[in-house]
Amino acid sequence: MTKADKIEAALRAAFTPQVLDVVNESHMHAGHAGDDGTGETHYAVRIQSAAFDGMSRIARHRAVHAAIGKDLMVQIHALSLDISA
Amino acid sequence: MSDTNTKIEELVKSSDVVLFMKGTKSMPQCGFSSRVAGVLNFMGLEYTDVNVLADEDIRQGIKDFSDWPTIPQLYVKGEFVGGCDIITEMTLSGELDSMLEENGVTFNKEAADKIREANA
Repeated sequence: MTKADKIEAALRAAFTPQVLDVVNESHMHAGHAGDDGTGETHYAVRIQSAAFDGMSRIARHRAVHAAIGKDLMVQIHALSLDISA
Repeated sequence: MSDTNTKIEELVKSSDVVLFMKGTKSMPQCGFSSRVAGVLNFMGLEYTDVNVLADEDIRQGIKDFSDWPTIPQLYVKGEFVGGCDIITEMTLSGELDSMLEENGVTFNKEAADKIREANA
């Protein structure tokens, strides 16, 4: 299971999103800071779920971070989030 | 740990706008830090830049302090505003302008409009 699969599974379970795209952008950062050679360091997530309704921007991001979990969060260098309700 | 927290608290309150980033505002060392510093620089904001790469305690400590896992992190008047995605969104929506105005922080409104025009 790739890290992208793990992120996707965690978010699907936590938010039952209407829209969910997890894109591994690591190749775009090859050789840059944070690239550890695994090709699994930089991710962009687009997620839409009614679960985010009424939450502030910071609260939405924190909820996503929490759903992904600390163990996985510390293994990735960058996570770009586009979150909507 | 508590020493680090005290140090971070002092930094956060050291000026109206504080950006914890990788590198400095004139020489950012990460694309995400660079994007936020670039926006603040372009908007002519006066702010304190804290290079987390220069202090490992602060680099870890700020993540715990803010309950936020990534750098950069922007503080205005001692309040955590967000990281790169949130600052980008707030810049484009105009929310950053209103928030700065509410906090009495001066910036170049025309420059902010230009960013929005360029990204419309």
